[in-house]
Amino acid sequence: MEDYRISKRTLAIGLALATILDTAGQLLWKYCVASLPESSGLLQTAEAVLRQPLFIVLAAIFLLQLFNWLKVLEHADLSYAQPITSLSYITVCVLSAVLFGEHISFAKSAGVLCVLGGVWLISQGRPLKQDNPGVEP
Amino acid sequence: MTLSLSLPLVGIALVILSSAIEGFAQVCLKRSAMLSAGKQRWLALGIVLFIFEALFYSGALHSLDISTAYPLGALSFVSVTLFSRWLLDESIDRNRWIGLGLIVCGAALVVG
Repeated sequence: MEDYRISKRTLAIGLALATILDTAGQLLWKYCVASLPESSGLLQTAEAVLRQPLFIVLAAIFLLQLFNWLKVLEHADLSYAQPITSLSYITVCVLSAVLFGEHISFAKSAGVLCVLGGVWLISQGRPLKQDNPGVEP
Repeated sequence: MTLSLSLPLVGIALVILSSAIEGFAQVCLKRSAMLSAGKQRWLALGIVLFIFEALFYSGALHSLDISTAYPLGALSFVSVTLFSRWLLDESIDRNRWIGLGLIVCGAALVVG
């Protein structure tokens, strides 16, 4: 019982961290690209990416995200974890308006909610490979 | 060849391209997980594809808001499903098709 509760708390922290890392990664990615000099082609972009130190931080976030996600999947089914972390579609949208002043139209808000609903539905339909209830004892 | 990355349409095309690449890359990873021999080749191909995907997505962020590019990237769910049905013979249930329909509608609303 004690183990179950600890595992549940670990899972909640892992899911929150996954959502935060998703959000931070996307926002930083945009910030990094926006800070690059105006270039005209993919090759120049690739070259500039390698020179921008913030991209190292971005790569570190992605790596952390990968390990955290694998850890989350040890404790929960993908069908349980994926819809929760897809909340990052909302956090990215809101924070892009707050931090970068991006304009969020009504259509865009509706689109984001549609995407969220779609991801949620997909996760519901996914056949499970194991029938644990989401949290391992 | 120079491609102007300042046009939103080019950005949208690049996100769609990177979503398509993601679908194929995921199939490569699955192949690698399924095989007992020749795992590394599929894994390496998958990783190379992910690097290209990241490059194209970076290119897209030149012209697109992150609040546009990120939800548009959910199209990768569509390509993962189509590629896994086509190349891995996985079966797709009705809920998943409806979910994919919602994602496509959402993507259209986001760019429209």
